[in-house]
Amino acid sequence: MSDVGFVIAAYGVILGGLGVYTVTLWRRLSSVREASLRIRREADAAPPPDRPV
Amino acid sequence: MGVRLLGIIGLVGVAAATAFGLFVVPADLNQGDAQRIMYPHVASAWLAYGSFGVTALASIGYLWKRDLRLDAIAVAGAEIGVIFTAFAIWGGMMWGRPVWGVFWQWEDPRLTTTALLLALYVGYLLFRRLTDDPARRAARAAVVGIVAAVDIPIVHFSVEWWRGLHQGPTIGSPDRVLNPSAPGQFIIALVGMVAAFTLVWLYLMIRRYQLARIEWQIEEHGRLGRISAARRKASVPTGGQPEGAR
Repeated sequence: MSDVGFVIAAYGVILGGLGVYTVTLWRRLSSVREASLRIRREADAAPPPDRPV
Repeated sequence: MGVRLLGIIGLVGVAAATAFGLFVVPADLNQGDAQRIMYPHVASAWLAYGSFGVTALASIGYLWKRDLRLDAIAVAGAEIGVIFTAFAIWGGMMWGRPVWGVFWQWEDPRLTTTALLLALYVGYLLFRRLTDDPARRAARAAVVGIVAAVDIPIVHFSVEWWRGLHQGPTIGSPDRVLNPSAPGQFIIALVGMVAAFTLVWLYLMIRRYQLARIEWQIEEHGRLGRISAARRKASVPTGGQPEGAR
């Protein structure tokens, strides 16, 4: 492999990896945000707990 | 909005620094085009140090204040540090093959201590999965995060303490900051790449911190739900007939 090949491999993996990690992080974040919203909605819709006698 | 803008500026900065490093700066007289790999390699290595430094400081802060937000910062630093360490190692390997003639050499102290650093923080992330209790997990992980940080100065000074394949610092040591041995354009390309990577790093740190906070809230909700379900189950009589039924 020529020097240029190594340069392309280095930049490709580093910049590509940075992109893949960023997209993965977005997906994880939007997924937990949705889950958090769902929990809040369920908590708001749930009947109040019974009062202790 | 501010975080998104930071991400966009970082992205544009990385694109500009890459274009400058690949197409504007001339090839090195001795190393040829392979020298261009140094820009993202060095930037990744410095940000890996920075990430693990943040983890260590946040871990000390957690043990002191017992604030789970500090644990969220620590885990963000560790995960992003692992990513940047992997990039630094990969860039170094791609540079090492054409310049040194080998991808890797275990006898080299810088390479070996960097691989150890990566293993330590991968271990830190795996260690965090051992317990569900957020406070216990944060305390245990903080100790690991602090102990693992001992390797950061060892990695950095390994090129001065021991002899190996890896060259000494070009502008990293205090006496070379004012008198760098690299030409001006190379320094501009390097500083530009470090600045752009730092913006992206900051963006990722903020997003990863937000993720850790929400994950913790969901986890805490689930834990409280399991506790109240267990209490309800314990208070309801199961099986057998009530007294006086016979």
